[in-house]
Amino acid sequence: MKRPDPGRVGVVALRVVRQLKRDRRTIALITFAPIFLMLLFGYALSGEMTGVQLGLVDGGGHPALRDHLLSIQDFDILRLGSESDAEKLVAEGRLDGAVVIYPEEVRVLLDASSLQITQAIITAVRDGLGQEGAGRASETLLVTRYIFGYDLEMIDTIGPAILGFVVFFFTFILAAISFLRERTLGTLEKFMVSPLSRIEIVSGYILGFSLVAVIQSATTLLIVIYLFGVPMRGSILDAFIVILLLGAGALALGSFVSNFARSEFQVVQFIPVVIIPQIVLCGVFWPVQSIPGFLRPLSNILPLTYASDALRAIMLKGSSLSEIFPDLAFLCGFFLLMFAAATLMLKREVG
Amino acid sequence: MDRLDVEIPRGVTYCLLGPNGSGKTTFIRAIVRLLRLDSGELRVLGRPVAQVGRIYSRIGYMTQHKALYPDLTVEENMEFYSGLYGIMGREREKRIEELLGMVALSEHRKRLAGALSGGMYQRLSLACTLIHEPEMLLLDEPTVGVDPRLRKVFWEYFERLAEDGKTVVITTHLMDEAERCQMVGYMRAGRMAAQGSPEEVLRQAGLRPVLSLWLAEPEKDAAHLGDLGYDIEVRGEVVNVSLEGHAQIKEILAEVSPVDIRLLEPKLEEAFLRLSEGS
Repeated sequence: MKRPDPGRVGVVALRVVRQLKRDRRTIALITFAPIFLMLLFGYALSGEMTGVQLGLVDGGGHPALRDHLLSIQDFDILRLGSESDAEKLVAEGRLDGAVVIYPEEVRVLLDASSLQITQAIITAVRDGLGQEGAGRASETLLVTRYIFGYDLEMIDTIGPAILGFVVFFFTFILAAISFLRERTLGTLEKFMVSPLSRIEIVSGYILGFSLVAVIQSATTLLIVIYLFGVPMRGSILDAFIVILLLGAGALALGSFVSNFARSEFQVVQFIPVVIIPQIVLCGVFWPVQSIPGFLRPLSNILPLTYASDALRAIMLKGSSLSEIFPDLAFLCGFFLLMFAAATLMLKREVG
Repeated sequence: MDRLDVEIPRGVTYCLLGPNGSGKTTFIRAIVRLLRLDSGELRVLGRPVAQVGRIYSRIGYMTQHKALYPDLTVEENMEFYSGLYGIMGREREKRIEELLGMVALSEHRKRLAGALSGGMYQRLSLACTLIHEPEMLLLDEPTVGVDPRLRKVFWEYFERLAEDGKTVVITTHLMDEAERCQMVGYMRAGRMAAQGSPEEVLRQAGLRPVLSLWLAEPEKDAAHLGDLGYDIEVRGEVVNVSLEGHAQIKEILAEVSPVDIRLLEPKLEEAFLRLSEGS
């Protein structure tokens, strides 16, 4: 076997460096993407829960617990008259949970769809009771009730969002790379000098790839339901529609983004920029409440936030499409915006 | 491109020549408006270039990228391009058959384009460009990697298209192809260094056909021809006469009786070399 020639290795290395030197985007991404991601993960993970919406029904007794809950800065406490009010608000998703205090018993009503939030609430209640002194705390009965579902495992709460994420990720990459291939093969240039208009190009693309999105949506949905046993309380067709809408948005985004890439190499670099923030900020793996305030607006413009909200509502709460209308409206809007952007960016000067 | 003044008449084969980077491709891209001119006027098929988008279906554009899908078959590639121009059904079948015959790919219809050799790939690309019977063809190096026999077939096809009133603009490096064209334009550093029919370009470069005469009495005959106003040069027993036109051959032979003659036609290549040095 021939030994590697250091000279040749050097020549290759030099060439790589030279190519890189001319590729400003890559330099920028190599430098800033890791910083960006580390910051994102850091904030999302270390962040205290803030803005947890907690209902409080004071049926007498346990002043220490009440004061403790009121003293927690991260909780927004809403005082309520009765346990049934609390239950209703939690059921509607307007509260993350509620604590109902009676002299002999403390009931905690929880929205089971976010494990982190329920954990935070339970911990706070235990801490509050603990402050009353060992004797009394042990006498008090602590009852926790999950308003949606029971026995929810991690995968049940995260599953619907993963579903959205997987479809989003793959359709995005696919659209971005294949659109780029049109450019490198020279076919896009030929399209430009043909009766084909830009809108036709982008639409044709999205239409063609929506087949892929349909297949991906169906398979991932089935895996999540049948393999992971995630409950499906709502209509499977509704869930499918949400995923497909998200997939269409991802395709349009991919087509748009491919305008900024000149090689597959560069497309791959868009993953940390486009995909990972969505995972971190969509409120699935880390609840929106744990994301610091200045990052929340970002969270509110990411399609995955809305898709996972809608999917969780359908799958875990059995919501119908009309109940998740705002989510659907956002997903439609996102798709249309990206479609317009992709079309406008398809420059005539392709070379 | 700078100070480029070109007129390509309809129904001709027009050859754009010039070294790499001289602006041939840029010029073609400007015609189809993939590049915009900073200034100047350009009309395409009688319309200002700004409106060229409306007549894309009348233009056939072949880039140096082959613009084919390697993961589709020969047939599928052609069907795709037919579809872009709305050619369907019987008409499509007819066109595909005819063009695949012309580029000698009929037997490879079902093969993946990616599995074709370089020359075959090139031929398929040309066939796809011709699918919609464009009035104006802009072909950027269409014969690269194509063997001489098939190149001849191509050229005959191009000439036939021109006879039918279609305009065929071709860039090439090959001088023998340029000589086949009705018109040539020689670009250099973004300008047209010379243009016209091959004969005109030769004349512009100051190159003329030379008639060499082997004479029994070279001195005497040379003096005689000189007196008649011919441009002569004596080399031993050979007298070279630079011709204004081929009709002069007959006139000269009426004056002298050479033992042997030879006609040396100037080459376009030489003309271009000379024109490059001159400017």
